[in-house]
Amino acid sequence: MTISREDVLHVARLAEIGVSEHELDALVDQMNRIVGYVAQLDAAPVESDGAAFVPGPTAVAWREDVVQPEPLALPPAALAPDFRAGFFVVPQLPALVPESEHAPVDDEEEP
Amino acid sequence: MTPQEVARDTAQRLVETAGLNAVLHWSAEGLQLEAARVAALPPEAPLRGMPVAVKDNIVTLDTPTTCASRILEGYVSPFEATAVRRLRAAGAMIVAKTNLDEFAMGSSTEHSAFGRVLHPDFPERVPGGSSGGSAALVAAGVVPAALGSETGGSVRQPASFCGIVGVKPSYGRVSRYGLVAFASSLDQIGPLSLDVRDCALVLQVISGHDPHDSTSVDLPVPDFVASLEAGVRGLRVGVPAEFFGEGLQPGVRQAVLEAVRVLEGLGARVEEVALPTLEYALPTYYLIACAEASSNLARYDGVAYGYRSPRADDLYTLYARTRAEGFGPEVKRRIMLGTFALSEGYYEGFYKKAQQVRTLVRRDFDRCFQRVDVLATPTSPVAGFRLGERTADPLQMYLADVYTIPVNLAGLPGISVPCGFVDGLPVGLQLVGRPFEEATVLRVAYAYEQATEWHRHRCPFLRG
Repeated sequence: MTISREDVLHVARLAEIGVSEHELDALVDQMNRIVGYVAQLDAAPVESDGAAFVPGPTAVAWREDVVQPEPLALPPAALAPDFRAGFFVVPQLPALVPESEHAPVDDEEEP
Repeated sequence: MTPQEVARDTAQRLVETAGLNAVLHWSAEGLQLEAARVAALPPEAPLRGMPVAVKDNIVTLDTPTTCASRILEGYVSPFEATAVRRLRAAGAMIVAKTNLDEFAMGSSTEHSAFGRVLHPDFPERVPGGSSGGSAALVAAGVVPAALGSETGGSVRQPASFCGIVGVKPSYGRVSRYGLVAFASSLDQIGPLSLDVRDCALVLQVISGHDPHDSTSVDLPVPDFVASLEAGVRGLRVGVPAEFFGEGLQPGVRQAVLEAVRVLEGLGARVEEVALPTLEYALPTYYLIACAEASSNLARYDGVAYGYRSPRADDLYTLYARTRAEGFGPEVKRRIMLGTFALSEGYYEGFYKKAQQVRTLVRRDFDRCFQRVDVLATPTSPVAGFRLGERTADPLQMYLADVYTIPVNLAGLPGISVPCGFVDGLPVGLQLVGRPFEEATVLRVAYAYEQATEWHRHRCPFLRG
């Protein structure tokens, strides 16, 4: 299979990673090489109903359903880029931003 | 030496080796505080006064945890990893946080946002990765032991490149609480040290069930140190032919086969075994690890902590620009590959298929372990590569882990122990055991180590 520029932009949008125009060609090339390499799994002799192996405990270790707060050394306000009155402050959703206030796109082609 | 003397000595070594760029955070004041804390502990604390460095993707209080990423630059954790808490309670002094490939994604420690790590012995070579900072610091003689983390070989491979010992515990043996998640079904914390005994000592302390990590296994932890001396007489050692095929450097093959002959000479029975799914392990790993990474790293969005792009007027642009500016190219590449493997139309053919092949890999190992007690293989197909040699080609970089990755997929314990040199570069012997049989793996490695002189070779800095 071949990964196109549009495929890479679609994946970048799903992954919420901005990709600039100057990065795009190299990413398309690398993704094609890597996906071509992992596609060799097509030849692996798996059973159609083969269960997935998951390492770790064979059974869930249940605990008492009691909330036990873990004291933290730092409050959210010390870690968050913007935290006010108990809330994490973020910009508006895109749909709520007036057209005139949209930031210039400059070098980046936003996915 | 008193803890205060150890702290002063360690501080001096950290200053002298600063050029390696193996350390991201340390302070003389922090060292003295650790020394004062340890001095007040009872003398029977098993690691009392041992200086230990910790990879910077394992959270500590008071010092930053950055995962060598701009997106976590300056981040200080509000809690402490269980492995670190256990080390400190046992008397270890946490002296430094070590450099790594960003979010542990790499095999050379060239993918750090804060600069690459130099090999302490060969400045033109990589120290391996992703725990390259921990490995370089141990090999340079700054600390006797360090913590690294494994997802696909990130303790064993740099241990091999730096001529030291590195242990990957069984999945579930050591709590992952406080290990910043890369691929949750593969990640494990493991020790690196100059010899097998120190690895056993550190592993003893950090092993065991932790209520904070439901994937840690509630099994008794054997006395790893006490079982070291049991020898290998009558033990069955399997040599999988697939690990000695195309791509293996001839000198590495020779060193590892000679190591197998040493084990035979010590009384082990050697036989050839088969792991036919080895050829599928690497693509399987990259699909599963990247898929899990794409989910785990979704939390770095500039909202609750870490870097936030100043150039965003709406929420989506905040996410996209924060992640574009905060992550390095390798991390972005892996998140995108994982997102692709999980996306509509590709999930069945890529991610689900990889999960099924993972089962085959584990079955292969199970079949081997019906006939033998441990497997002996090279740790890496090469004895180290040059700085910059593989950074332009991600696939070539991935191939550096081809022999360690199957062990992570199957959740097994493994160790790399020095077994010779090729053109002056250290070579590692990998030993792999049944699930939760770390004691057997350590015992075989110790018997080999005691019968040879390789572990006594230190880098020029340490010999000086």
